[in-house]
Amino acid sequence: MVHALNEAQRVLKPDGILVDLRPAAVHRCVGITRKSHYQQLATMREKLDDDRAASRAVTHVLREGLFKAEWRTQFDCARVMDTHDEFQAWIEEFVKLGGLSSHDWLVQRVERVLSSKRGKSKIVVRGPLVLRVLRKLNTTG
Amino acid sequence: MPLRIDPEQNEVRALQRVTDWRRKRVLEIGCGDGRLTLRLARLGAVVQAIDPDAKLIRAARRNLPKRLTSRIRYRVGKAERLDHPDETFDLVVFAWVL
Repeated sequence: MVHALNEAQRVLKPDGILVDLRPAAVHRCVGITRKSHYQQLATMREKLDDDRAASRAVTHVLREGLFKAEWRTQFDCARVMDTHDEFQAWIEEFVKLGGLSSHDWLVQRVERVLSSKRGKSKIVVRGPLVLRVLRKLNTTG
Repeated sequence: MPLRIDPEQNEVRALQRVTDWRRKRVLEIGCGDGRLTLRLARLGAVVQAIDPDAKLIRAARRNLPKRLTSRIRYRVGKAERLDHPDETFDLVVFAWVL
């Protein structure tokens, strides 16, 4: 991660901006919406080690004087899925990428709740994103 | 309809607060299927977007609307070994990568 940040610093023009946009290191909430009513079902149990390692890498390049932290914001981000199959595929991809242990319990819970509802429901996964802005510092001379 | 990320457009609003993206040369690292790339190009940026997964780059090229082809270039590439010259870009965006 530090290598990637070093490379970014190299290809940036003087005073260039690095934008680090990624999910906050918190667990996401899964729920169902129907007619704009949101019902939370569960909180996911993601592994957050990679997120913490990324934050450490950013801290490292700031300490090295390659960048200065200029701005940070956090905002809500929803992922909306229309069907249980889509949700299951999304969870399975997440597990495959190593960010999640098996969440069969959650897939089953969503399926149960969806089948008990009449009408069209959507599955919504909510979790904040963090956007950090770092400014390249001139390291020559 | 497939998975929709950030239908409320909070991400775009946050990006708009970073800078005026018009005509900025941007390197996006970890572009995946190009979801964020399209948003950056619609803000006016000229984007070179890379991802190590060739399958995702092919998908991104398929999803590229004709009117944005002059503003986006997709390539397979890794963040740790960029083949761009020094001091090329106004902004580098790490998109859910770090």
